[in-house]
Amino acid sequence: MKIICVIPAWNEAKTISLVVKKVLPFVQEVVVVDDGSKDETSQLAKQAGATVLRHLINQGQGAALQTGNEYALTQKADVIIHFDADNQFNAEEIPIVIKPIIEQKADMVFGSRFLEKKSKLPFIKEHLLMPLARLVNKLLFGIRLSDPQNGFRAYSRLAAQKIIIKQREFAHCTEIIHLAFASKLRISEVPITVTYHRFGQNFSGGLRIIKDLILGKIIK
Amino acid sequence: MIQQLLAILVIIFFFTRILNQKRKKKISNNEFWLWTFFWAIASLAIIFIKQIDQLAKMAGFSSSGINLLLYLAVMALFYLVFKLRLKMARQDQEITNIVRNIAIKQTNEEKK
Repeated sequence: MKIICVIPAWNEAKTISLVVKKVLPFVQEVVVVDDGSKDETSQLAKQAGATVLRHLINQGQGAALQTGNEYALTQKADVIIHFDADNQFNAEEIPIVIKPIIEQKADMVFGSRFLEKKSKLPFIKEHLLMPLARLVNKLLFGIRLSDPQNGFRAYSRLAAQKIIIKQREFAHCTEIIHLAFASKLRISEVPITVTYHRFGQNFSGGLRIIKDLILGKIIK
Repeated sequence: MIQQLLAILVIIFFFTRILNQKRKKKISNNEFWLWTFFWAIASLAIIFIKQIDQLAKMAGFSSSGINLLLYLAVMALFYLVFKLRLKMARQDQEITNIVRNIAIKQTNEEKK
């Protein structure tokens, strides 16, 4: 079974080598999509053993993930994992995330910070932004998942063929969940841990996501 | 009356610009006729402003016809901005597709 991990990266020279090295033991190929970085992300990722796809100009995390998916499909991947470049996820949890797909119990697996394992989330994120994101998911798309904005996920080949990410920036998280439900894929959530080195999406970022989602509903 | 004359002069100025652009072949035939139609309607609205005043009154607007024209213009502008936004979003998507195809092609070629 061919497992490929896609890591979108934009100016992640500080962490990319470490992340690639941590992920490599758990997969057959690590694909770093360098989204128009100005630093040495590409070279460092390559040296660490990753295949590097390079966007000539910055296109956003969603666009980079779709590039990685399309490439992984051409490489005949059976399982595709999405993983962040900022060293917030734990690579040792990759086997847990892909297990439901390998056992053919799910087509799509989403990592969640709100199941048994408890990540130390910033207070505002846990008690304001996440409940708000859950509400938006429910109102706009009728989706109920414990973690509405998690970048650690795995696709079966079938799921990667069915889910085409059009949201180029951070609204892709909601879009992927929505498309997974709309495509009637078998969906599973597994507990994962996230170690925060920085805050991530703030309130204005959240508003931008909502704007992108509404615009995405208009532009088909 | 003077205001109407001034407005007509402004329209004539803009129309000469369009004629100029057309002569230099900087705009297409369709675009030329679209703008000609637009300025013709604007001229008619200025010439028949009194009738538009009455129309505004009949439609229940408390202010004058020129205000009604302004409302319509703002609505038209909103619509145009929205159309532009959609067009930009589509172009962005096309740029992403090009960038993506180049990235995948380059990596596949390097791998060979």
